[in-house]
Amino acid sequence: MKTFEYIIKDEVGIHARPAGILAKEVKKYASKITITNEAGKAAEAKKLMAVMGLGVKCGQKVVVTIEGDDEETVAPIIEKFFEDNF
Amino acid sequence: MAMDYAKCASDIFSHLGGKDNIISAAHCATRLRLVIADNSKIDKAALEEVDGVKGMFESNGQLQLIIGTGTVNKVYDEFLKITGLTEASKEDVKKAAASQAPLWKRILKVPGDVFVPILPAIVAAGLMMGLVEALGKAIPGFASTDWYGFLDMVSNAAFAFLPVLVAISTARVFGGNIFLGAVVGLCMIHTGLLNAWNVANPDAINSFFGVTDGVIPTWHLLFFKVQRVGYQGHVIPVILAVALMCVIEKWLHKHVPEMLDLFITPLCTVLSTVFITFTIIGPIFSMFENAVLAGAQVLITVGFGIGSAVMGAIYPLTVVMGLHHMYNVIEAGMLSGELGKNIWMPIASSANFAQFGACLAVAIKAKNAKTKSVALPSSLSASLGITEPAIFGVNFRFMKPFVCGMIGGAIGAWFGALSKIGATTYGVTGIPGLLAIDNIPLYAIMLLIAAGIAFVLTWITWKEDEPKKKAAPKADAPKAPEKAVITCEAGTIMQPAIGKVIPQDQIPDETFAAGILGEGIGVEPTEGIVFAPFDGVVSSVADSKHAIGITGPGEMELLIHVGVDTVAMNGEGFEPLVAEGDEVKAGQVIMHFDRDAIAAANHPDTVVVLLTNSDDYENVKITTD
Repeated sequence: MKTFEYIIKDEVGIHARPAGILAKEVKKYASKITITNEAGKAAEAKKLMAVMGLGVKCGQKVVVTIEGDDEETVAPIIEKFFEDNF
Repeated sequence: MAMDYAKCASDIFSHLGGKDNIISAAHCATRLRLVIADNSKIDKAALEEVDGVKGMFESNGQLQLIIGTGTVNKVYDEFLKITGLTEASKEDVKKAAASQAPLWKRILKVPGDVFVPILPAIVAAGLMMGLVEALGKAIPGFASTDWYGFLDMVSNAAFAFLPVLVAISTARVFGGNIFLGAVVGLCMIHTGLLNAWNVANPDAINSFFGVTDGVIPTWHLLFFKVQRVGYQGHVIPVILAVALMCVIEKWLHKHVPEMLDLFITPLCTVLSTVFITFTIIGPIFSMFENAVLAGAQVLITVGFGIGSAVMGAIYPLTVVMGLHHMYNVIEAGMLSGELGKNIWMPIASSANFAQFGACLAVAIKAKNAKTKSVALPSSLSASLGITEPAIFGVNFRFMKPFVCGMIGGAIGAWFGALSKIGATTYGVTGIPGLLAIDNIPLYAIMLLIAAGIAFVLTWITWKEDEPKKKAAPKADAPKAPEKAVITCEAGTIMQPAIGKVIPQDQIPDETFAAGILGEGIGVEPTEGIVFAPFDGVVSSVADSKHAIGITGPGEMELLIHVGVDTVAMNGEGFEPLVAEGDEVKAGQVIMHFDRDAIAAANHPDTVVVLLTNSDDYENVKITTD
């Protein structure tokens, strides 16, 4: 299991559109990818609705967990993806 | 220099491709909004050049011209004149419908229209006032306690200053400035004027004006003599005064140059209205009042109680006219006269109690929750002698209960006169009157007769306006479109907003259009309502209120996103009616949104409907218009 923390820089937070892009991205991988917000609520990244339900805003911290056979390779990709998109 | 509204309007019109090309015109605070039949016929470049048009854009089928606050309405008026179009707002449809009613019906409707918005202020206060006063009479010593003083103040404030409330409401009904209306109302009960309840009280007059002869001083204005008496307890003169004010105000708005409008219009409006009120409306009314008073005194001497019966019947009418405060004069006269008792009070009591009976019948029979909730406390307050809420809020509005109350009042008053009961004081009626009457059992029977007859008659004759109520929600609350927009093996997604369904690639946003968030459609809404597209559970409501996620049958995850980039509006203009975890039924209204607010924030208001997990299904079918 790999985890990393990330502070959201996108002004609108993880809203519908960014969440959708994320959902698209993570579906490519076998690992289960979860996002946990500051309140401790977790959501599977490929479930757009669940991610939106976290209500993550700009400046808030999320913990991203990657767990699965391809976690070693996927973790850096996802981290990069967060930096590029959020 | 003031803008030439007519020129601006005609310039705009000249670039729109003819009258037939304009389907409808409306305006908001800043923009002229036009629905155009064929956009290719309009000269957009020329439109932007028109003097007075500060900008132009097209949004959801509307051509919007930014003209500016305070001027757009004037340009709009001119525009309507040129095109011959009429305003098509709901209000106007209502007004048009109303204006077809005969004049007397429209006039009778006014007091109801004026009073309905005031009801919250007077219904509870009336009930409390009745209770407090009754307790004051029933419990010896209570009337001199601090609590009595305090409660009495709070509960009678709305009645003591009723003309102000009536004035504000009337200004709203007639489209005038409500604050100017309030000023007119305040003038009519100004502390510099004698309280109307004291006109027959020489002591009060002497102490108020510092005179010794008990005569109310007058002002000499031009060739008018104005008695310095307020309009406490009056309704009709206030409505007339403020209705007149609205006419004056509107006329001045049109004719006073814009620069001076803020100063000249209010000044002249209030000054001329109050002047006319005190010199013409007021005196006509007091002439009328005196005639009624004199007539009433003669009337009740007519033999066999017939005069009293007639008075019992017309008494509520005099309450509507605001004449009832004059009756203290009669009552006081009776008490100090050779009769030594107040035989007016049983008449007034019958009349009031009959209105209670009629109102109670409405309260019990009504199915409409709102009518019920107004009628019940109003009737209770009427039983304690405060009839304004019952009369204006209920009986007079529906008319039949009012008439039934008049009949009940007449018969009760007739009984009261024949049984020769009288009161030992004045100013109380209804249940508290039990404490002031010389024969309690007969008085109680009289009340029962009055209220009973009114109740039964109302029960039989009055029917709730069913068809009207059924039609109203249809007009006001549009139904969900019965059209499937997305289908897949898991189920069907109904169109969640009213308007034209556009294919996904026409959604004015790249991400949505490209299908990154799943397959779907857009709706160009004509109403600011979102309906649930299937039976499901709300999985998320965005903090910024503009997007709702719903999970439906077969794990379908649907995103309904109102407008594009509307996240930036931080929830302003969006009102989701559901919360995460709520179960929803297909067709249920789940959100209201303000299309004008979205347009004002310069966003498209396309309702984006996306099946976010469309990848999970094989046969996703999209239907558009």
